[in-house]
Amino acid sequence: MALNLRLPQVETRDQRLGTITQWEGSATQLARDSAFTYGCAKGCDNGGRRLCEQSSPFAQASMCAEHIAVTNATIIQQSVVIQHAPIGCSASQSFTARYYRDLAARRGWKLEDPKSICSNLGEQDMVFGGVERLEQTIRDAFARHNPRVIFVATSCATGIIGDDVDGAAKRVEDEIGIPVVTLHCEGFKSKHWSSGWDVIEHGILRRLVPHTPTKQADLINVIHLGGPDVFTPLLAPLGLRVNLVMGGNTLEVLARCSEAVATVTMCFVLSYLATGLEQEFGVPEVKAPLPYGLDATDYWLRDIARLTGREDRVEAIIESERARIAPELAHLRKALAGKRGFVAAGAAFAHGLLADLRELGVVVDGAFSFHHDPATDSGDPQQDSLGHLVETWGDVPNYTVSPDQHFQAHAALQRAKPDFVICRHSGTMAVLAGRMGIPVLPIFYSNDGLGYEGLLTIGRAILGVLPRKRFYDDVAAHSAFPYQPSWLAETNPYALSAEPA
Amino acid sequence: MLSPVSNPRDSSESFCSSPGAIEQVRYGCSLGALASVIAIPGAVPITHCGPGCATKQFHALSGINGYQGGEFHVPSTNLGNQEVIFGGADRLDELIRSTLKVMTADLYVVQSGCIPGLVGDDVASVVSRYQKRGVPIVFAETTGYRGNNFSGHEIIIRAIVDQFAGQGDVPKQQGLVNVWSLLPYQNPFWRGDLSEIKRILQGIGLEVNILFGPASAGVEEWRAIPRAQFNLVLSPWLGLATAAHLEQACGQPFLHVPTIPIGARATSAFLREVVEFAGLDRNRAEAFIAAEEKEHYIYLRDFAAFYAGCTSQYRLPSQAVVVSESAYNLAVATFLIEQLGLNPGPMVISENPPPEHREAIEARYRALGEGAEVAFEQDGFLIHQSIRQADFSGELPIVFGTTWEAALADSIGAPLVEIGYPCTDEVVLSRAYVGYRGALALIERTYTTVVRASTMG
Repeated sequence: MALNLRLPQVETRDQRLGTITQWEGSATQLARDSAFTYGCAKGCDNGGRRLCEQSSPFAQASMCAEHIAVTNATIIQQSVVIQHAPIGCSASQSFTARYYRDLAARRGWKLEDPKSICSNLGEQDMVFGGVERLEQTIRDAFARHNPRVIFVATSCATGIIGDDVDGAAKRVEDEIGIPVVTLHCEGFKSKHWSSGWDVIEHGILRRLVPHTPTKQADLINVIHLGGPDVFTPLLAPLGLRVNLVMGGNTLEVLARCSEAVATVTMCFVLSYLATGLEQEFGVPEVKAPLPYGLDATDYWLRDIARLTGREDRVEAIIESERARIAPELAHLRKALAGKRGFVAAGAAFAHGLLADLRELGVVVDGAFSFHHDPATDSGDPQQDSLGHLVETWGDVPNYTVSPDQHFQAHAALQRAKPDFVICRHSGTMAVLAGRMGIPVLPIFYSNDGLGYEGLLTIGRAILGVLPRKRFYDDVAAHSAFPYQPSWLAETNPYALSAEPA
Repeated sequence: MLSPVSNPRDSSESFCSSPGAIEQVRYGCSLGALASVIAIPGAVPITHCGPGCATKQFHALSGINGYQGGEFHVPSTNLGNQEVIFGGADRLDELIRSTLKVMTADLYVVQSGCIPGLVGDDVASVVSRYQKRGVPIVFAETTGYRGNNFSGHEIIIRAIVDQFAGQGDVPKQQGLVNVWSLLPYQNPFWRGDLSEIKRILQGIGLEVNILFGPASAGVEEWRAIPRAQFNLVLSPWLGLATAAHLEQACGQPFLHVPTIPIGARATSAFLREVVEFAGLDRNRAEAFIAAEEKEHYIYLRDFAAFYAGCTSQYRLPSQAVVVSESAYNLAVATFLIEQLGLNPGPMVISENPPPEHREAIEARYRALGEGAEVAFEQDGFLIHQSIRQADFSGELPIVFGTTWEAALADSIGAPLVEIGYPCTDEVVLSRAYVGYRGALALIERTYTTVVRASTMG
């Protein structure tokens, strides 16, 4: 289904992809049910059933799409982000600033605080509307910081009171002469925070990527979640220059997106932008499964080489990379032999980490995915990362989909009893695991596990955290979670739920 | 759709709504007072709000702010389209019911956010059904667009006092005090500070309901609130509404000490004021004060070696710039000027104190001597603009502020000591900056920062 870029609002991934946030079963079953429900292009054997979402009467605080959209707008350089919201939504300013400064240090940008402003809506604005205040805030933002783009993010409150944010943005944009890009990211509108990626990518596609005829035959877009550039070492030998998109950009990088010869996405959760670039600008999307594990990385490089006409060089690179990492990989496999791991991350990223662990010889029979996309925007079955995981590495018997719910994660870890946990979104899961006496490797920069080098990076990092068990055990023995004894003993994350409807 | 009717239990009328947009936000919203609930051992907030609200508040106030951690597994309705359109009261009811099955707590505090305020959920009646069944649960209307986490803090306290702790003219226990001071989590050093405050009050013979943090006995202290002999408000304004309410509801007098004491001179004076107010045994108190001072002044005597002369190669600061919420701002400014002998530089209070308290706060600064003046401003851009315009000629300024002041401090060539939210460059556990012991830690941090700035900058 084509992406609709005419409207300022992105269609939520719940609607586009059938995204769910609650499910429990085996990875094999989830992959089959997803394919059965959302497309049988792979020759579905009809052995699936309709993908049914669980529900839970109990729930704990989660995250919202606004958080993701605003964070990723904030780290675009020379921008100002305006949160048109009551003051609380802007509590994120402190940690997005920390994130920006960390990125700046790693990527060699100017070390400064990003510019974020809250329109600071009060009760009066709820009654009379906040549009005038917004217009003034946009003017102030321009006068204070002379940015090249201003983002305006909506909030639950402005969504409910119905402020005409697009009208206000357009009016002031005409005055000040720079793009004022609206981000419709009301937290209540989507079940899952990852919709925030779609919101910012929708805004970028609509407003910041020019329709340009000049192509650069050696430029490849790499869309990633954030962090250092681990791609140039992989792709430069192919004669490709990396245009690193998302996770902190200059406006030039975004503008160049349409000039690239191809796009790869390092996590299909972010695939909206790649699909949009193919649809709107004819930049083909690399559809090969993500490069987690040796074979997948080989295949991914070959697919890029094929799409960019560099097949002659790729085999030599694969051979030399494999040879380069072989000695340390053997050492890591030996050190990790017999260890039991557990993965907690978001959908495609979780699938990637699972592949890494199995490539490293770690036993993984439990995983916790923060949501599940039964399809991707391209609709291409090659991007079925869960299906690919199961085909390549076999089943994950206990596969829980949960929006980072602490109580469910507790049950899942009680069941899995792993030697370590590797997780993303380090809030809930990392602390939980540590407090249960389980060493934990939180991944802040999601590129860590990618490609050949990623296996080494992850393997080393796991070995680095294992000795911390001494600390975690001590804490676990001297603290308790405020759950009823029955829940503390529970090993089924969805024990509270009714049968799927 | 709108229901701007204010709840009679809502004391947020005292909140002065901001006249404009804010850059570099320095506090949370009213719902952020869930951090105050988490600060009470044995209490669990139940949040009725959007899916990201509670997490964002706590991650900002705790996670990135001194990396304080804390028990965050907060039940939340995570409101979606359906509840926005049809109302969320039923979902809240289901959540409370299941919370009681899964979790265990001595006290639940239901907090509503922006969405229920806008769609008009009748949260009070949902909660009251559980109260009638004897469940220890209260409702605090912490609507995000009606206040910040300071006003929200007073709302949750009021809710617990009125709906849980019990009121009336119960017999008073001589020597028992309720302490209302720093805002938990907002101030990264609140845990250590409250422990120190409890320690010194115990030292002069009081039994202390410190109410929040590791030094608190938890919910049982809250039940004991009405029995206390008096309330101690140890902050420029936060807690005054609570104390005034308790005066009326429980017949308890209160002592208001706006400046949290830092250092021996201020702390001893503070303790003597409390002794007089509460009619405590003077001899016992003086013995405690003497013992504390003896140890304290040995440290100051030895620090004098650094402060007097061993440091001629370092650029010891001569002027204090303080940017923070009012409680620490006043306390730290007073210590730096009166105890360490720095000159007053620009001071900015950033948490939007209610207008009726501002004059009294200003008077406290004027009393610190010539040139000591305070401004009230919440917007980081304007704060920095005004400080950059100040005259630093002949001075070596040092900034006591937040992470937001890093660039400012750089631009005026000053070292920065982080004392307030957001505080992303300090890892804080039990460190205190107030009282006898805290003062020593504050001196250590200040001059370690100075030495490093001189040798590594």
